[in-house]
Amino acid sequence: MSTILKIFIFPAALIITCLGVNTILGGHITPGGGFQGGAIIAGAFIFGAVIYGLKDTPIKFSHDFIARMESAGALAYIFLGLAGLIFSGFYLYNLGVDLYGVIPEFIKNIFDYPDPIHAGIIPYLNFVVGLKVLVGLSAVVIAFLGFKELKEDEEDLEEF
Amino acid sequence: MLYAGPLILGFILGFIIGSRIKIYPESKLNFTLGSYLVIFIAALVTAYLIGPFPYYTDGPFASGFLATIIGLLVGKITLGRDVKEKKEIKE
Repeated sequence: MSTILKIFIFPAALIITCLGVNTILGGHITPGGGFQGGAIIAGAFIFGAVIYGLKDTPIKFSHDFIARMESAGALAYIFLGLAGLIFSGFYLYNLGVDLYGVIPEFIKNIFDYPDPIHAGIIPYLNFVVGLKVLVGLSAVVIAFLGFKELKEDEEDLEEF
Repeated sequence: MLYAGPLILGFILGFIIGSRIKIYPESKLNFTLGSYLVIFIAALVTAYLIGPFPYYTDGPFASGFLATIIGLLVGKITLGRDVKEKKEIKE
């Protein structure tokens, strides 16, 4: 790839990452949310992986990192759902808002999201979904780029 | 008044991704401290142009955006150190 692209892409990827996180954080009041924001962040990673190559890209997602983040995202989602089930009897009940008025005040305060809307667990769900989507989509691209390199290596071997 | 929600979550997500930024010497990329300063200033301008979320009255900047760039840079500085070239040991 050209030198201009190599200079431009890494800073652009960082700015795009911030935009993705901003999309995740505004999921409860603006268009967007966990999936969209996660996809934008994955887009920033893919940008780097395509331009610099899988080995040289400055943003590196290792196998362990992907596995940990994917598991943490899924587990956090399940735990938020189970917390609703335990305290109110409804799976994924919005404990921070408590529309039915069935939970104690201190539980409501724990799950409250500190912003002007007080959307309860919705921003936290966006956060964990974003985490899951960003590593999931990145893993797909890493696999494709890895297969491509493997195929090229095999072709080189066949030529010899 | 600052709202803790977007600041904390933005910082955490930025920190997680920032900790994965590692530049290897084989890639021949050279991003100095000045480059990161330029990125921060660019992010500051972008955050100003995006503006705060609806109903947020915590200033003219997108607070989540700013928290993320700070988290990215802190993650890069603390956990995402560049990998230095291994020195060959002469026998």
